[in-house]
Amino acid sequence: MALWFLRGLRRGVVTTGYPARSDDSAARLPTPPAFRPAALDRSTADRLVAVCPSLALRREADVLVFDVGACTACGRCQDAVPGAAAPSGEFELAATSRAHLVKRIPLLREAGT
Amino acid sequence: MSALTWFYLAAGGWVLAAAAALAGRGAPRLIHTACVLSGLAGAAGIAGGASALWWGNSRVVSAGGSVIVGTLQLQASSLAGAFAALLGLVALAIAAYAFRYHEAGPHTAIYLAVFNLACLGCLAVLAAANVVTFLVAWESVALLCYLLILRHPGRTDVAGGAFWFLALSETGFVLLVAAFVILAAKTHSMQLDLIATRAHLVPAGWRDAAYLLALTGFGFKAGLVPLHVWLPEAHPVAPADGSAFLSGLVVNLGAYGIALFAFRLLPVGPAWLGLLTMGAGAITAAIGILYALNERDLKRFLAFSTIENTGIIVTAFGAAMTFGAYGQRALWAFLLLAGLYHVANHGTYKTLLFLEAGVIEHTTGTRDMDRLGGLIHRLPRSAVITLIGTLGIAALPPLNGFVSEWLIFQGLFQGFRTGSHLVGILIVVAAATLGLTGGLAIYAFVRGYGIPFLGMARTRQSAEAAETGQPVAGPGLLAVACVALAVGAPLVVLALSRAVGTVTGVTLRPDLLPGNLTIIPAHTDFSAFSPTYLTVFLVAVTVVPVLIYLSGRPGADSVTVPVWDGGMVTFRPRMQYSAMTFSAPTRVTFDALYRPSVSMHRASDDPAGRSGPVHYETEVTPVFQRYLYTPVVRAVEWLADVIRPMQSGDVNVYLLYLFLVILAAYLIGAL
Amino acid sequence: MTDGDPALSSQQDQPGVPPPASGSEPGPELAAGRQLSERIARQFGRSLHIRTLDTGSCAACEQEIRLLAAPHYDLNRLGFFFTPAPRHADLLMVTGPMVRAFDVAARKTYEAMPGPKIVVATGACALGGVYQPDAFVHGSVAEILPVDVWIPGCPPSPLALLQGLLVAVDRLAEKVGGLSFAADETQEAAQ
Repeated sequence: MALWFLRGLRRGVVTTGYPARSDDSAARLPTPPAFRPAALDRSTADRLVAVCPSLALRREADVLVFDVGACTACGRCQDAVPGAAAPSGEFELAATSRAHLVKRIPLLREAGT
Repeated sequence: MSALTWFYLAAGGWVLAAAAALAGRGAPRLIHTACVLSGLAGAAGIAGGASALWWGNSRVVSAGGSVIVGTLQLQASSLAGAFAALLGLVALAIAAYAFRYHEAGPHTAIYLAVFNLACLGCLAVLAAANVVTFLVAWESVALLCYLLILRHPGRTDVAGGAFWFLALSETGFVLLVAAFVILAAKTHSMQLDLIATRAHLVPAGWRDAAYLLALTGFGFKAGLVPLHVWLPEAHPVAPADGSAFLSGLVVNLGAYGIALFAFRLLPVGPAWLGLLTMGAGAITAAIGILYALNERDLKRFLAFSTIENTGIIVTAFGAAMTFGAYGQRALWAFLLLAGLYHVANHGTYKTLLFLEAGVIEHTTGTRDMDRLGGLIHRLPRSAVITLIGTLGIAALPPLNGFVSEWLIFQGLFQGFRTGSHLVGILIVVAAATLGLTGGLAIYAFVRGYGIPFLGMARTRQSAEAAETGQPVAGPGLLAVACVALAVGAPLVVLALSRAVGTVTGVTLRPDLLPGNLTIIPAHTDFSAFSPTYLTVFLVAVTVVPVLIYLSGRPGADSVTVPVWDGGMVTFRPRMQYSAMTFSAPTRVTFDALYRPSVSMHRASDDPAGRSGPVHYETEVTPVFQRYLYTPVVRAVEWLADVIRPMQSGDVNVYLLYLFLVILAAYLIGAL
Repeated sequence: MTDGDPALSSQQDQPGVPPPASGSEPGPELAAGRQLSERIARQFGRSLHIRTLDTGSCAACEQEIRLLAAPHYDLNRLGFFFTPAPRHADLLMVTGPMVRAFDVAARKTYEAMPGPKIVVATGACALGGVYQPDAFVHGSVAEILPVDVWIPGCPPSPLALLQGLLVAVDRLAEKVGGLSFAADETQEAAQ
C-alpha cells in the first residue's frame, strides 16, 4: 500500500468545506480596515489619506472616501492613527459593480464647523 | 487494333511532333502543333500499352538486317505494356503542360524535338524484342535525356548535373551490355523471346552473374542506393517537364529492366538473389526518404522521393523473386503485380509533382521551400492538384499510393509461407523498413506540401505569385489519373493480372478479384481490401457530418475573430516553421547517417544577446559522394596518370602497339 | 444585493439580449434574455473554465490562484477548471495593472473567447489601486476589458477568490455592497 494512502487515511479530508461551511483560516487573513467615524475628523482623515500607499483613501469635504478595491490591507492606517481603524474581518469582497467597493464614511463633525 | 499498331501510331506521332518543332524553328504555331501531336502520340501509347497488357505478347516484327548491327526487332510484350501505358500518360500530360510552360523560341523548338525523340526512344526500349534494339534504344534515351537536362546550359550547375546523369548512365550501360552479352552468348540468340525460352540452359553461375550485372546496370538508371547520386544533381537543373519525364518515366525504365531480367528473361533463380534485390530496395527506400527530409530545394526533395519509390518497387520485385524461389507461385505473381501497380502510381504522381514544382518555380521564381508559403491562396488550382498528388505519394487512403503500398505490404506479410525462418524474418525486416519509409514519407510530404502551400508567405515573391497563364490541364489530367487508379483499382488489378499471367504463367484470378470489387492478396485466408468501397466510405464519413452540421446549425449571430496566436502583437511570417526546423528531429535521430556539420559565427560574444549578426550553417555530409565516388574517381585518375606515358606521341611506339595487338589477335584466334 | 445578473452585465457579449430600457417594466425580450442568462449561469455553475491572464502583476495573485487547484481549496469540486486556451474558456481572470505593452494581447485574448464570457478583475492592481495611470500602465484592467466582477485584495486569499468566482456564476450573493466599513453603524451622522 502506498504510504501516502495510509497517511491520507490518518489525516482525513483536508479540503475546506467553503462555502457550505466556514473555513478556520478565514480568521487569520489580513482584511481591509473598518473605520470608526467617532475617531475621525478632518485632520486625522488627512493623516490617514497621506499614509495610505495605494491611494485607497481620499477626503471629500466631511466624508472619508474609502476604495475597498484599492486597499492592500497593509495596516498603515491602523498604525498611523490608533483607534481610527481596525481590521474589519471581511474577506468576501467580490463586487459586481465597481461602485459597490467605494465606501463613504462620514467624519465626526467638529463642534462649530 | 493490335498493340503494335498503336505503338507505330505513337512512334509516328512523336516523330512528326519532333519534325514540326524543328521545322518551325521556334514559331509558336508549330510549337503548339508539335505539342498537340505529342499529346496524340501519348494517347496512342496509352492505348497500345493497355492493349499489350490485356492481350499478351504480340508477334515479333523484324526490319532490316545487317551482319554488324543485327536486325531491328519489335514486340509489344505485356510486361512492357504497363510501362508503355505509363509512357503514354506521362507524354500526354507533359505535352499539355509544355503547351503553356515554355516560351516559344528556337531553343524551345530543339528542346521539344529532343523530348519527342526521347519518348520515341523510351517506346523503342519497351518494344525492343532483341538485344541490339534494346541497347541502341537505351543508349539513345540516355543521350537524349542528357540533352533534355541541358536545356539551359548557361545556368549554374546545369552542366554538372547533366554530366552526373550521363556518366552514371554510361557506367550502367557498360554493365548492361555485359549482362546481355552473357545471356546472348550462352543461349546463342539475340532475340529476347528465344533467350527467355533457352535461359534454363545457361549455367547457374553465369545466370547469377548476368542478373547481378543487370541489377547494378539498371540500378544506376533506377536510382538504387548507392548508384543514385545523379538524381539529386540532375533533377533540379532540368526544366520542370524534363525532370518530370526523368522521374516519371526514365527511372521507371530502370525498374522495367530489372523486371525484364528477373521475370521474363531468366527463370526463377536462387533465393539469395531475390533477398539481395529486396534488401537493396528496402535500403534504397529508407535512405531515399531520409535524405529527402533534409532538402530545401523542391526538386531535390522530389528526386530523393523518387529514389524512395524505386526502392519500394525493387523491394516488391525482390520479394517476388524470393517467393518464386520457394515455390510460392501465387505470391511470386502477386508481388510482381503489386510492383507494376506501384510503377504506374509512382509515374503518375511523381510527374504531377514535378510539373507543379515547375509551376511554383515559374510563378515565384524560387524552388527553395523556405522562401515560399501561403501559395494555397495565390495558386488555388495548383494547390488542389498538388494536394492530390501529395496524398497519393504519401500513400494515404483512399488514393492510389495507398492501394499499391497496401498490396506490397500484404505480399510481404505473407513471408511465413516460404517455410524458412530466416527468410521469413528477412522479409519481415524488409516490410518493417518499408513501414519506416512510409511513416517518414508522410512526414516528408506534410513538410513538402505544408511549407510552400500553407501558412503565410515568407517572401514577397511568394506573396505575389499569380496563377494566370499557368498550365493546369497537364497536371490536372494526372490528378484525375491518380484518383482513377485508386477508385478503379479492381480494373487496374484485373489488367495487370492478365499481364502478370502472361509473364509468369500464373493465373491469379479468380482468387485475386472475387466479384465484389475486393482485392485479395494471392491467398484467400489472409486479408481482403476494397479500394472502391474505402473511397466511398471515406467520402461519406467526411461529407455526412458536414451535411448534418449545415442542416442543424443554430441560427445565432456569429463573430469572426482572428486565429488565436498567443496574443502576439505582430505575427511575422518568419516566426513560422521553416522546412529545415520541421525536419530537425530526423537530423537528431539519424545523425549517424547524416553526420551533420554545424558552423556558427558570432560577431561578438556579448552574453546579453547583443552580439550582432549570427551566421549559422548546417550541412549534411554527402556520404556517397565523399566515401564512394570521390575515391573511385581518384583511382581512375591515378590509373589514367599511370597509363599516360603510353601516349607518348611517338609514331614509332604506336606502330609497335599495332604490331603487338595484331600478333595477340592471331595467337588468340589460333588457340 | 447584486447589480443585475452577472451574466447580463457585459451585454455586448450576449447574443440576442437587448439593454434594459431605463425606468420601464422589463419587456418580453428582457425576460427572455434573463431566462437565457439564467440558463447560462446555471451551466456555468456546473462547469466553468477559467483562463488566467497576467497583465503585469507581481505574481502574488497568481500564487493565490494557483493554490485554488491545491487539495485544501480544490476549485474542481465546485465545477471550476483552469484552461490555457481562451477558445475553451468561459471566464477570464485578470490580474495586474494592465501594462500598456500588454493591452493588445489582453484584447486579443478576450476576443478569442467565445461568448457568453465573464471577466473577473482580481487584486488591487487590476481594480485601479496601487498604480496610477502613467506612460507604462493603464492602472486598471477596466480601461481595456469590460469587467463583470471585481475581487479586491492584495493578494486576495483563495477563499476570497472562490467567493468571487461563485458570485460570478450567481451561486453566491454579493456581500460587499451591503457593507459600510464604518465601525459603529449608529454613528450615521446627518450632514
